[in-house]
Amino acid sequence: MGRRRRRLERQAGAGAEALPEAIAALSRTLPTRPNPETFRRAKFDLPEAAPALWRLLFHVLLREDDGTAVPYPEAQVRLVKSALRAHGYPRPALTQLPEDGSQGSRELLLALSWLLAGGSLLGRLLTRTHVLTGDQMPMCECEDLAHATACLDLPAPCKDTSNGLDMRYVQWLMGKLRFRWLNLICGHQEQCALLSKIHQYTQGCHSNQSLGHLSAAETELLRDPEAGQQLLWRLERENGRLEAALEWRRLEPIFWQWMDTVLGACPQCPSDTGPQPTFQAAISDRGHEELELVTRELQALWQELQLAAEARRTAWEAQVQIQGLELSTPQVLVSEAMVERQLATLRQAWEQWGALPHGPHRLVRCESRALPGGGLWGTEAIKALRSKAACLEAELHWLQGQCQQELAGLAGALPEVVWIPPHGH
Amino acid sequence: MSILTVQLGQCGNQIGFEVFDALFSDSYCSPGLCSKKENEAYQASCKERFFSEEGNGDLVARAVLVDMEPKVINQTLLKASQAGRWKYSQHACFCQKQGSGNNWAYGYSVHGPRHEESIMNLIQKEVEKCDSLSGFSIIMSMAGGTGSGLGTFITQKLQDQFPKSLKMNQVVWPYGTGEVVVQNYNSILTLSHLYRSSDALLVHDNDAIHKICEKRMNIRQISFSDINQVLAHQLGSMFQPTYSAEGSFHYRRSPLGDLMEILVPHPEFKMLGVRSIPQMSESSLAYSTFTWAGLLKHLRQMLISNAKMEEGINWHVRPPVSGLPTLGKTPCNKELHFNTSIANLVILRGKDVQSADLGGFKDPALYTSWLAPADAFNAWKTQRAFNKYEKSATLVSNSQFLVKPLDLIVGKAWNMFASKAYIHQYTKFGIEEEDFLDSFSLLEQVISSYCNL
Repeated sequence: MGRRRRRLERQAGAGAEALPEAIAALSRTLPTRPNPETFRRAKFDLPEAAPALWRLLFHVLLREDDGTAVPYPEAQVRLVKSALRAHGYPRPALTQLPEDGSQGSRELLLALSWLLAGGSLLGRLLTRTHVLTGDQMPMCECEDLAHATACLDLPAPCKDTSNGLDMRYVQWLMGKLRFRWLNLICGHQEQCALLSKIHQYTQGCHSNQSLGHLSAAETELLRDPEAGQQLLWRLERENGRLEAALEWRRLEPIFWQWMDTVLGACPQCPSDTGPQPTFQAAISDRGHEELELVTRELQALWQELQLAAEARRTAWEAQVQIQGLELSTPQVLVSEAMVERQLATLRQAWEQWGALPHGPHRLVRCESRALPGGGLWGTEAIKALRSKAACLEAELHWLQGQCQQELAGLAGALPEVVWIPPHGH
Repeated sequence: MSILTVQLGQCGNQIGFEVFDALFSDSYCSPGLCSKKENEAYQASCKERFFSEEGNGDLVARAVLVDMEPKVINQTLLKASQAGRWKYSQHACFCQKQGSGNNWAYGYSVHGPRHEESIMNLIQKEVEKCDSLSGFSIIMSMAGGTGSGLGTFITQKLQDQFPKSLKMNQVVWPYGTGEVVVQNYNSILTLSHLYRSSDALLVHDNDAIHKICEKRMNIRQISFSDINQVLAHQLGSMFQPTYSAEGSFHYRRSPLGDLMEILVPHPEFKMLGVRSIPQMSESSLAYSTFTWAGLLKHLRQMLISNAKMEEGINWHVRPPVSGLPTLGKTPCNKELHFNTSIANLVILRGKDVQSADLGGFKDPALYTSWLAPADAFNAWKTQRAFNKYEKSATLVSNSQFLVKPLDLIVGKAWNMFASKAYIHQYTKFGIEEEDFLDSFSLLEQVISSYCNL
């Protein structure tokens, strides 16, 4: 960490005049391409820079480039605040900013740099806008998932809940979700069927012998030459972004030094005893990030284990007290065998999880028996996904069981109320 | 995405034919004002949903025909082949020599298990012909034996075998003065079982359609074929293509899925009804013009006063003043004047459709208190006219409209059940008194849920 900091300082001294270039490179990499001047204004906390930064953060944190409508500025502000909270952003000053999005440009700049300092943000943004020509098949999406769950915790639309929420509305929404889910599955199956047809009909058309057939995007190019222009334009835009990203990597240290001065210009907030935002800049390489992820998981697991052990122990003690010392050896043997079996299942599941292939793969129909380097057979992928689905399902059942127990507990507390299970689904 | 139709029993097969014929003739009639390109997109969309294409270009209905007697299926196949415009697949029929004798239990407990494998195989084969299957439309009567009993059984099996596909049952409500003595038993058994296994029950009322034929279509001697054509018109106007979004000119991909998501997400409220206007004979159609404002005003009043057609609408019914408790919340035994909705879908087809003002359907007073109009109301549109009507509007509604007729049927069935009339006809085939009691309690629950909106 210290070493990196020293390196940054050394490089920064060499090219202080390159700051505008660094900021320009950054802005060309980011989704809304903010005016570089916005950053300078934000350093002095000028209000005119705020709307552009709110918008930028909204796009960076929440919006896929899918052409869906952008919510109102107020909603954007709320969404950004809650997404940052979900990411664990430590500065309380941000949450106190007014919701009309008119102020706080410096705080927003700090938040943006905090996200950048995390290391994976730019990479993720570039992946999001990556132009695909092959048919992708996502395998393990654990990183995406971690990102998505962080974003899921969005604020509920401002609804007056003082009168209490009608249970039927919740059931209605659940049903809607179910239908959307079915629709999605159906759409996905259709896509697979059509892809398979394209791959079959275009067998032998591809100039690349190892691929053999065209992808959907390539077929579309043949069908509609206009689409070729579009693709060229998108590729050029992506190239521009990638070049800007390279430039940014080179000039990044200058930006961080400047950010130190921004932070210096910030009035110290006495209650803010958390880590300095620049601290995060050190943890940018992948190893650290993964380590952190694993540590967090481990901690969660440990806590869970502690809780479970505690519960078991009390239950056991209660049982022993009732039964006295009548426990016979066969009973002990049986329970030991059961525990061992459970442990073996868990171990096996864990190993399978670990062995899952990562990252997206290009989907290729292959007649030959040979597997290209780094490739993966569809059957293997399906098997891996199946076992993952089974694991998740088991977890879901467990959680449902917990909820049911909780509900039963609640129901027991209200003896005068009759509980009738709903019919239907 | 495709919809597979399962036609069951006499009623299901006769209606099924008319539905496919209506879909075909609408798709391939003269396009009117819409452009050639748009018309082709419309045809392609309809074809993908309801027809598959054979090598020689013939259109084959995506349908499976099931009946326990050969007569109706043979007639249906003959009608389709004589018209020569589209056909049924030769291998998609299943029939036997002996019917169910209007006994639900016989269809459900005897025919069902006995022929399960053959029928499900047929369905499986048709499913495999679709690039993507959105779901099933199961057409059956509610009160007979084969359609209702076997239809219920098949719906359950579809739920087991295709849990991820949607199921909408087109249920034909019997005449109030029906000639089958046990029709109320059959009805409650059908409805209660379907409530468990189907996603939506679209109810078609024979009495109401009969009146439409008489008053609106000016038909003197009304045959089943006339009634089924009106019904097919309503279904066609529901399922023919519409734009996927406001301002878009792409057609909706998954009409069945979208419709269910809009109207029946709540598992306790699955009853749908459909109303179409205008409906009139072809001869009077030539001398009539319509405005969107006029059509929608009528349709809205039909909704809130629970009128089945545009004649004899009670214009005195008004939505309750907001802020006061709605009339819908009064107990069921009082007469329901105002028909409270859970969710509505209006489908507009024809000229200047973008100019139609749907504000009248977005009044919160029309809906239950726990759903805002933004959740409860949707509109689908297309500029392409439907079936020779320059402008037409269809309303698919999940509302209290069935509370009264359902209550009536349950009441009649209960009176018979209390005196144990005809029960042995059912216990003989394994439908016990306990099953009846379950059905009664489930339907009572449905009635009370709809009453307390």
